[in-house]
Amino acid sequence: MTRHQRRLVMRWSLFVLMLVLVTVVNLPIISLILNSFRSTSEILSSRSFLPEAPTLENYAFVTQRTSFGQWLLNSLIMAGGGMALSIMAATLAGYVLSRFRTRFVTAYGTGLFMVQMFPILLALIPLFIFFRTLGLVNTYYSVIILYTVAQLPFATSMFRAFFDGIPVDLEEAAKIDGANRFQAFTLVVLPLAGPAIAAVAIFAFLFSYNEYLIASVFLRREELFTVPIGIQQFIQQFSTDWGSLMAAAVLAMLPTFILFLFIQKYMMYGAIGSGVKG
Amino acid sequence: MSIKTASSSSSELRVVLRRRRLDLFPIYLLIPSLVLITLINLYPFAAGFYYSLQDGTLLQTGAFVGLQNYLDLMTRPEFHNALRFSAIFALFGVFGSWAVGLGLALLLNRDIPGRGFFRVALLLPWILPSIVSIVSWRWMIGDQTGLVNVVLGFFGIRPIYFLSTGEWATFSIIIVKIWRSFPFMMLSLLAALQTISLEIYEAASIDGASPWQSFRYITLPQLLPISVVLWILMTIWSVNDFETPWLLTQGGPSNATENLSVLSYRYTFLLNNVGLGAAVAFFTMLILMIFALILLRRQQREP
Repeated sequence: MTRHQRRLVMRWSLFVLMLVLVTVVNLPIISLILNSFRSTSEILSSRSFLPEAPTLENYAFVTQRTSFGQWLLNSLIMAGGGMALSIMAATLAGYVLSRFRTRFVTAYGTGLFMVQMFPILLALIPLFIFFRTLGLVNTYYSVIILYTVAQLPFATSMFRAFFDGIPVDLEEAAKIDGANRFQAFTLVVLPLAGPAIAAVAIFAFLFSYNEYLIASVFLRREELFTVPIGIQQFIQQFSTDWGSLMAAAVLAMLPTFILFLFIQKYMMYGAIGSGVKG
Repeated sequence: MSIKTASSSSSELRVVLRRRRLDLFPIYLLIPSLVLITLINLYPFAAGFYYSLQDGTLLQTGAFVGLQNYLDLMTRPEFHNALRFSAIFALFGVFGSWAVGLGLALLLNRDIPGRGFFRVALLLPWILPSIVSIVSWRWMIGDQTGLVNVVLGFFGIRPIYFLSTGEWATFSIIIVKIWRSFPFMMLSLLAALQTISLEIYEAASIDGASPWQSFRYITLPQLLPISVVLWILMTIWSVNDFETPWLLTQGGPSNATENLSVLSYRYTFLLNNVGLGAAVAFFTMLILMIFALILLRRQQREP
């Protein structure tokens, strides 16, 4: 075998290895999707991997007989709200952390890191009592605010890493052209941050859309449930109805999946931003 | 003479003042974050600590009891149990997901056809809602008709009730945790791998280094700083993880998979004992802070 052929064999055997690994890793998801097209009795009795009598019954049940659509709308509102607010606050804070090195700013950066250690439950206990006195339990607002803050540390550090990579010269040039510091940021630096904003937006949206604990504590009326809480109800109410449960789970992951496919290329960027910074 | 001294000292003072003058611009930009963090993190931090010193319920504040809740915790077996399980869960979860993530990152860093597709497909466990992953895993391992037991049966192994005994439930929950966390490790490590200059490897191979030696003496040391950060983050996330144990096993069977977060939730929202729940949460935070500070100190000392 020539060197070229050896390399070709190596490349394609790695390809096969990766294919096997990807299949094994995604087996729970694959079987979930396949099961969503089977009746519950078939799921419980059949030993075949593929559906023997494929059916859309489960999907019909979930979309017509449950409040799934409402839950999805609630999820989009709350995840979207948290995403928008956290990006607004975190672009500003990330910029400050990147450009200013005063004692106050440094202290803020350290404090933000420490906040991540905060068990969310410790915050939820007083906030539940606090929000109840304000009448904010069972409203979108309580959940949106919590989603916003939960993402701030991560979002801020990603923006900081991104702004670190933008040369200060650009702002200096803008200042010479007569822009003030705020304009230098909003008109020169921020327009360059599109990819970073997209990356943070995915992370923020995914976090909120997938989140369970905060929503389960603050949303106690069915018409306000997010998708994860709704599905959790499903497990309790229809404990043996695996078919509908799996169809609901597949529907729940669709928005995540679609969004992820559109913007997955930024994810690598996001990991670089948050990771290499260290 | 005296006038001259006064004027010179006042001009010095002015210089000092100008140098010390607080630049308000960065603070203005931080205001939204500061308000949110004060309201949602600092206030509950103080209030949570205060609640941990009381014997209140969710509906009314109770009497001040000092450290009684903490002393009470120390004598409760479920607290010791949660402490032990949290440690096991974090340790195996963090290193398991780091090892799996590193292995896959190394593979993805090579020239494989369809690399982009594989990278995306391997991120799926991470981006899925926790409830979706847990539903699929519960079916996979839940009872004897689940996929794993069908496959085991194919090899003549008797069905294992993964969620019914303490040991198997602990094992299963760690596997699910690794499954949900490795993509983040993989992505971060892959990003770090791609910043390592190829020239170092070329130089090493000219000097006769084996692939294993290149990995051991170039790749691993280059990945150490990011790995330390990932270990810290993942440990914090594991100890604070409520969803994986709660949705998979509800902390059962008989509290075998109850970590500190689930215990705190159970005390507060199911047993309505805010004092004990807050004490568990506060104690958890103290442990995590000490842990992170020690690791960060270490890392800063060796640049």
